[in-house]
Amino acid sequence: MRCAIVGSGLAALATYATLRHAGVGSEEIAVFGTHTDPTSVWRERAASIRQARMRSESDGHLAAPGFPGLAVREGTLSALARSVTNRYHPTVELFLAHANEVRERTGWDESFAERRVAHIRAGEGGFTVDGEGTFAHVLVATGHPGLVHLPGAVHAYEPHAYAPKVAIVGAGMAAATEWRNALAAGSEVVSIRRREPLRRSLNVPRAYFSKRGLAAFHRLAPTARLAVLEDLGRPSYPPGRDWDVDLPVADAPPPGFQVIAATGFRKGWREDSLLGDLVAAHDLETHARFLALAPDSTVPALTDDRRTLSIAGVAGQWAFPAADTIAGAKYAARAFTRRVCRTR
Amino acid sequence: MSYTLTGRIQSRLVATLPPLLVALGIHRWWAVELVALMLLFGVALDVCVYDRVFEYQPGWLALPLGLVELWLIVLSMRMPVTWPALGLYALGWATAQVCGHALFPRVRLEYAQGGGELGRIGALVAAAVAAVTLAGIAGAVAVIPPTVHLHGVVRGPLVIDHAQTLVGGTVRGGILIRASHVTLKDVTVIGGENGIDVEDAEHVMLDGVHVFGVTLDGIHVRRGSVMVKDCHVSSPNGPWVQGIDISFAMDKGMSMIEGCTISGVREGIVTHWVMADITHNHVSGTALRGIDMGEMSMGTIEHNTVVDSKGVGILCLDHSECDIKRNTISGAQRPIQEQYFAHAKLHKNTIEE
Repeated sequence: MRCAIVGSGLAALATYATLRHAGVGSEEIAVFGTHTDPTSVWRERAASIRQARMRSESDGHLAAPGFPGLAVREGTLSALARSVTNRYHPTVELFLAHANEVRERTGWDESFAERRVAHIRAGEGGFTVDGEGTFAHVLVATGHPGLVHLPGAVHAYEPHAYAPKVAIVGAGMAAATEWRNALAAGSEVVSIRRREPLRRSLNVPRAYFSKRGLAAFHRLAPTARLAVLEDLGRPSYPPGRDWDVDLPVADAPPPGFQVIAATGFRKGWREDSLLGDLVAAHDLETHARFLALAPDSTVPALTDDRRTLSIAGVAGQWAFPAADTIAGAKYAARAFTRRVCRTR
Repeated sequence: MSYTLTGRIQSRLVATLPPLLVALGIHRWWAVELVALMLLFGVALDVCVYDRVFEYQPGWLALPLGLVELWLIVLSMRMPVTWPALGLYALGWATAQVCGHALFPRVRLEYAQGGGELGRIGALVAAAVAAVTLAGIAGAVAVIPPTVHLHGVVRGPLVIDHAQTLVGGTVRGGILIRASHVTLKDVTVIGGENGIDVEDAEHVMLDGVHVFGVTLDGIHVRRGSVMVKDCHVSSPNGPWVQGIDISFAMDKGMSMIEGCTISGVREGIVTHWVMADITHNHVSGTALRGIDMGEMSMGTIEHNTVVDSKGVGILCLDHSECDIKRNTISGAQRPIQEQYFAHAKLHKNTIEE
């Protein structure tokens, strides 16, 4: 085994698909994770907020090549027309069906081993994973460390129903979805938020999805990069009439209201036990809650000509601000695959 | 997509490969020129405008930008908008879309995140396309005929036996053209038997020529194809002078006579066994016919004015196929006539007394 993927979510599947597309055999890859189905965690969260459509666009899929995208796979002129005008957002159903197709086609199950990894250690010519083996190339894609809960509130990403009176805490995509859900369920809705929501089509401005914006981002000094990441991390949801909801805003949930916390995820490497252990064991460079990464999403101190340690998913934001998106997963996956193939 | 400048240029150059191959394949200068112009304007706009204005370029914008680029090329280069040219341009545009949205993302996974950059192989292909296009332009420029400016009055007859462009001046005694790809522009010819005599030559352009005082034909073409534009033929030196006579070239390219003014000759415009378009001319005071398409010729006689012709205004003669439309004939003995198995189609001509 040359490669290990630690994690079993969407970023892990994207990486696996990219490696397989590049000709790396399933017998050369080990996937360690807690869920056999790489879509299960994401699926449950999407179902909890009754998400019907993706925020991402046609190319927000898990197959290695960008083409064909989901608009082409949908196969209607309307989907294509909406795609060229940036109005296409695939259905969750289509995205998940395609993800399952990728899982089956790439042979994910052949490489998967159910295990919660606690330690990764760098050694001569590679890494051990919980003391096992030597893997020359390891990609860590453990996902969000957990939900931010509020006392007495149900989290938006956990299964829930809507009471007649609902207070929704937050101002991001989940909150905006919950406003609409609760209103559709006939509830009286109050928004609890500290600031006015930011309206943005995608998680971050489009330039940050390509070298055009990334090159300048990578040149920033750590303090400036931190400021950019904090700014980009502000909650947002898309513009457009579909998302416009006129709601009363309050500072705190009124008495008698069901409180739904659309407060997102815990943030930072300290919240992730595996990353925390890795940072402590190898004294890795960090900046506030961000793990310092090279532009190709690798950990510089543990990556050289013979070995690679990459970080995909939300923990990879130091390299790619939208790391917690499908595009971000693929960004890390492609860079990782380049290194794997180069050292073949 | 958010292109980097390098990505824009590389994508454009590589996507131009198919139309460039088509242009080289059909072996026509206009096609190579068009592809070169597409590249030059495209890259100039990439550098000066698009890279600065569009931080992100949505897919739909390719259509208006394609139309703007086409309009700029046509406007600035005064290129004729022909169906083949539009077809080649459309091919280039469509190829760019297919490459940008399907082919490049398929073969290079990092295409979109790389801002359209195509890596080392892409850069090599882009450089090759640029080099081939530049070499094509350089080659074409190298064989462009020389331009000769005439000043004052030159004693003729002048014999032109290689491709060139002759501009201005006055030639006494006539000009004989024996080479293809000759252009006469704003040249005045006085005297001689035939004012301008074109023999066995093709792609000859007579633009704005003036012919006076000849004894046979103002412009006389045999076994050749010419484009005559905005000419003047008048003041004949004898009763048998014809304005323009293009004959015996059905197996050559089509000839065109457009925007000429011919007066006082025996016959204004005469053709025998040729394909010709005769449009927007003014023929007046001829002793015989105004316009005569004869001897198995084929062509269009359109938007001409024939005034005071003593014989037939427009004659379609001897097995010829004539499409006669939107002409104005006044003061002719017989305005329009079809003779001896000729076939004339008439449409919206105006006959005045």
